[in-house]
Amino acid sequence: MNPGHKIILTVFFCFLMIVAAAAQPDNKFKLKSGAKGKLCLNCHTAFQDKMKSTYLHTPVKGGECSGCHNPHSSSHGKLLDADTDKICFKCHGALVAGKARSIHKIAGEGQCVLCHDPHGSNNKNNLLTAGNELCFTCHSELGERVKKAQFKHSPVERGCISCHNPHASEKSDFLLETGMPDLCVKCHKTDTPSFKSRHMNYPVANARCTTCHTPHGSNKSGLLHENVHMPVANKMCNQCHDEPTSPTPFRTKREGFELCRGCHNEMVGEAFTKNRLHWPLVSREGCLSCHTPHGSLQKGLLNRKVSEICGKCHADTIARHEKAAVKHNPVKEGNCTYCHSPHASDNFLLLKQPVIELCGTCHEWQKHTTHPIGEKYIDPRNKNLNVQCLSCHRSHGTDYKNMIYFDPVSVMCTQCHKDFTR
Amino acid sequence: MTKILLTAVFVLALVLPAAKAPAATAKLLYTATVYADGKNVGMKKPEGVACGNLLIVADSGNGRLLKYTVAEGELKEGTEIKIPEMPQPINVRVTAKGEILALDAKQRRIVRLGPEGEFRGYISPEGVPSPSSFIPRSFTTDSDDNIYILDIFSSRVLTVDPAGKYLRHTAFPEAYGFISDIAVDQRGTMYLLDSVKLMVYSAVKDAKGFTPLTKEMREEMYFPNALTVDSKGVIYVVDKNGGSIVTIGADGSFQGRNLSFGWKEGLLHYPSNICVNDRDEAFIADTDNNRVQMFKVIR
Repeated sequence: MNPGHKIILTVFFCFLMIVAAAAQPDNKFKLKSGAKGKLCLNCHTAFQDKMKSTYLHTPVKGGECSGCHNPHSSSHGKLLDADTDKICFKCHGALVAGKARSIHKIAGEGQCVLCHDPHGSNNKNNLLTAGNELCFTCHSELGERVKKAQFKHSPVERGCISCHNPHASEKSDFLLETGMPDLCVKCHKTDTPSFKSRHMNYPVANARCTTCHTPHGSNKSGLLHENVHMPVANKMCNQCHDEPTSPTPFRTKREGFELCRGCHNEMVGEAFTKNRLHWPLVSREGCLSCHTPHGSLQKGLLNRKVSEICGKCHADTIARHEKAAVKHNPVKEGNCTYCHSPHASDNFLLLKQPVIELCGTCHEWQKHTTHPIGEKYIDPRNKNLNVQCLSCHRSHGTDYKNMIYFDPVSVMCTQCHKDFTR
Repeated sequence: MTKILLTAVFVLALVLPAAKAPAATAKLLYTATVYADGKNVGMKKPEGVACGNLLIVADSGNGRLLKYTVAEGELKEGTEIKIPEMPQPINVRVTAKGEILALDAKQRRIVRLGPEGEFRGYISPEGVPSPSSFIPRSFTTDSDDNIYILDIFSSRVLTVDPAGKYLRHTAFPEAYGFISDIAVDQRGTMYLLDSVKLMVYSAVKDAKGFTPLTKEMREEMYFPNALTVDSKGVIYVVDKNGGSIVTIGADGSFQGRNLSFGWKEGLLHYPSNICVNDRDEAFIADTDNNRVQMFKVIR
C-alpha cells in the first residue's frame, strides 16, 4: 500500500469514527428517524398545513418539536418543556433586557403567543397579524384614533415599530427606540428658519415634543393634541414663559397656581371661596398635578384619564373599588368627578353636594320610598349622625349586594335595630 | 471570686433581655367621647385637636374652636371660640404661653388667638427667602414655641420664631409623593408624613434635609393624613381611609394598627388628627363621626 492510499484510508476511518460518534446519542435511545419532530406529524396531521406557512419557527423548520415539547410527559400544558411564560426565554431571553427602561407588559410576562405563532405564520417574525393591526388588537382606542386622524404621521403609517420596540427599550419610556426629542429630530430638522418661526423662536430642539404634538395623528394641523391650551393654539408661548431670547426661555413667569390664575382667576377664585380645598391645587405642581399646560388627548387638558389622575394619590381607594365584588358605576367608569369636586368644595371629602342630595342626582327613588333618611333621623349608633345613604352603603363598593357594609343584610340592619338581633 | 462571677452573670441576665427587647409599643384604650360643646351643640366634621391641660378642637364644619378642660379623664366646659377671622379651622396648637394657633383652610393662613380666644392676628413670617409666598398645609410648634409651617407651595418646612420671624427652612425630601403633615418631638426632630408614598421622613434638629425614617408602608396603611409624636418618641399616624391609628417606633419600625373603621364608640370613620399629652391621654378628631374620642395610651 503506497503512502497516498494510507492517508486516504486513515482520513476515511476518522470520518467513520466521527459519524459514529455523532450518531451515538440517537442510538442510545434507539430513536427512530425523525423522532425529534417529523414523526409527530404522523399523528398531528392537521399540522401539515401549518408547515406550509411562509415563515416557520426555527425548531419547527428543523423538524424538532422536542425543542419545545416533551414527547412523553410534562407538568405544563401542551406537553411543553417549561411554563408557557418562560419557555420562549430559553432561546429569546435577550429580547427583554434586565436593564430595560420600559418593557412591553405582555413581553415581560412571557405572553409571547399573544403576538407570535410559536409554530409558523405567513407574517414575518411569525406574527399573528401583519403590521399595525396586530398592535391595534389590544391598543384599539389608539387604533381608532389613528384611523380617524385627519392629519397622519407618516412613521405610524409605516408601522408602530418605526418608533417603538415591541419587546423592550433600554433607552426610553413607552418602548421608544430612543428618547425624545432625539427620536423626532431624526426626521425633523430643527435648524431651519421655518421650524424656528413655527415655534416662535423658542429653542425647542431639546424640548419634549409630545407636550404639544401627538405623534399618532391628529385632527389638528401640526399634529397638535386634540385639546390645545389657548395660548399654544394662539402661538402665545410668552403668555406663560419668558421671552425666547431670554437666558431662561422656558421658565414660567409665575409658580404653581399663581401662573394659571392670570387667566383662570374666576375658577381659582371660586375654589378659594370654598371651605375645603383640594390641596394639590396649591402645591408646588399646582394645577399641573392634574392638568397639562400645552395639549392633551383628554378634555380639560387633563394629563391622563380622570381615574388615573385620582389614582396617582388615592391608589388605595381605586384598589379597594377594583377588589369589591359590587361596584359603583361612576367609579367603575372612572368618573370620580361625578361625585367629587376636583378643586374645592364646602362638603367633606370634596363631595359636590351633601350626601343625600348627591346620591339623589342618580338614585331619585331614594328621596321617596326608602328607609327614613335625613336630618330628622338620628343614627342610633352615634347621636351626632343622621341616617343617610352612606349609613348603610359604601360608595366605593363592597363585597355585598347593594354595596352595603355587612353580610348578611340582617347584620347591617341590627347595627341599629338591636331588638331584632338574634 | 464566685460572688463576683455570680453578680456579673446576674447583671448580664438583666441587661441582655432588655437590650434585645423591641421598642416599647403603644396601644390605645377607649375611655370617653365628646360630641358637643358646653351648650350641647353637636360637633360637625371636627378635623383638628390639640391637647395638654386643655383640649382644643377645631370643629371645622361649624367654623369654630372648642375649648375643654381635661381633669381626671373627663372633659368639661366646651367653650366655643368663633370669630370671623377664622371661618374654617382645620388644625390647632396651643403654645407654652397659652396662645392658640389655628390653621384656617379657607384663607390658608395661621390665626393667632389669645388664651380666651381673642383674635391677635395672623402668622405672617418676616424675612422668608424667595419665593416669599407660602401655602400652609399644616403646622406645629416645639417646646420653645417656634412654629414649623408645612409650605406645600414651595415644598419646604418654614421655621419661624414665636413672633413670626424667619429662622430657617428645610426642603421636602426628594421624590416625595404628597406631604400632608408635620410633627416635632421634644428634641427638635421634625417628622413629615407622605400620604401618597405612605412614608415618614425625619430630620434631626439643624439637619440640612429629611431622610426616610420608614419604608413605604403599603401593607400597613391606606391613606394617612396626619401624625404626631409623644414624649416617649412614639409616632402616631392617622390612617384616614383605613379608620385607624398606626404606631411607629422612634427607629421607624412599625408597631401596630390600633382601632378600626366604624360608627360605634371606640371606632373611627375618616379620622383627621390625633394628639397625645404628657399624661398619655390621646384625643382623636373622628371627623366623619362628628366627635372627638379620648383614649388612654397603654405601653
